[in-house]
Amino acid sequence: MSEEREKEIAEHVVAVREGHGANCSSIGSVIDTLFVAQAAAGALLVVVAAALAAAAPKKEEEKKS
Amino acid sequence: MRARAETWGAWVRLDDPPALVALDRDGARALGLDLRVIHGGEPLEAHVAVTSQCGVGCEGCYLDARPDGAHVPRETLERTLDDLAARGVFTVAFGGGEPILRDDLGDLATSARARGLLPVVTTSGIGMTPAKARSLAPFAQVNVSYDGEGEVYRAVRAFPGAPSAERAMALLRDAGVPFGVNVVLTRQSFPSLESTLSRARSLGAREAQLLRYKPAGRAARLEYLDKRLSRDQVAALGDVVRRLSLEMQPLRLRIDCAMVALLSDVFYDRAAELEALGVFGCEAGRNLVALRADGREAPCSFLDPGAVLEGPCADCALSRVCRGGCRAVARFLTGHDGPDPECPRVVRRERETGRSEDQKRGD
Repeated sequence: MSEEREKEIAEHVVAVREGHGANCSSIGSVIDTLFVAQAAAGALLVVVAAALAAAAPKKEEEKKS
Repeated sequence: MRARAETWGAWVRLDDPPALVALDRDGARALGLDLRVIHGGEPLEAHVAVTSQCGVGCEGCYLDARPDGAHVPRETLERTLDDLAARGVFTVAFGGGEPILRDDLGDLATSARARGLLPVVTTSGIGMTPAKARSLAPFAQVNVSYDGEGEVYRAVRAFPGAPSAERAMALLRDAGVPFGVNVVLTRQSFPSLESTLSRARSLGAREAQLLRYKPAGRAARLEYLDKRLSRDQVAALGDVVRRLSLEMQPLRLRIDCAMVALLSDVFYDRAAELEALGVFGCEAGRNLVALRADGREAPCSFLDPGAVLEGPCADCALSRVCRGGCRAVARFLTGHDGPDPECPRVVRRERETGRSEDQKRGD
């Protein structure tokens, strides 16, 4: 169930900006993911989807099971 | 996690891993988010000046902070945090002046967290003590301004602040406070970028944000032309950033929103990837709001309050992420809000149309 939900969420992620963005004068974006192997972006999506699924409110059917 | 509904879906802020995520509406529903209250048009990040006081006198200070500046009253800041939380802002970045001159900076971070805001702060590190470093623990991250070692730092800011910044990094590391560095790229600091990042990494920095030098505040004068990156440096920037992104791991490399236009040659065919990674150009007045020490609200820290943004570069494939480059640079050099006159593509086009900016550069 959890894996399915993560996959479902991952399909609807439009963008991921990594990090906290700690500068006080201009917005920053992590750039290294763009230059490492393409697999890194996919791995990032998997991690983010798992974190979203874990942190989000549970769906009703999951609460019951 | 904090989420906010938009007309197109939702923004979600994750704390672990730290990330800002955009989900379409189906994704937001799958996550079980409440989509009834739409926050469209409000900023995600607020830059809040907590003081206009700073004794250092950097010659490029974008806010013209001074030794006789004043701290923003605590009650004013508490109201500001209330307002930002109500508007759906996710992140509040405290700046100044020099924020660590305040004794209540850590308490302000705690206040922000109590409202669901993620607090971060930027400091020169001057005046950092072990106790002060420990007091910054409520911050998600502290960024220390660090343009290079020794004379490199002095060449950018006109005072010898590198030892203080390095000491502050060591104190933050010892206190267990996550920190990164802000590196302003100028003609003088760019050649030493690799050693600057190596030094920051060795002191425990986990991120380095590369900042474009901008003609705002005390930097809005003709010396800007001698301090900004040369055209050859702009041409080399893409390869340097790419190489250092790989070689400096685990130090994460970030670029600021004004840098996207400078990298247009490298990024031109990668707009979709940039969008997916949330790498955007000018965010002024869109996802970003700046609150000055005098309480005025501005589109970003470098633009005057009330500035009107225009949409330049209509036929450029990168414009949907670059958004016309840095308005602060464009306004200083051309009197208009765009396009960014230092973007290599704009430079080439202006050469072709005989409107080159070469005479102004002094390269």
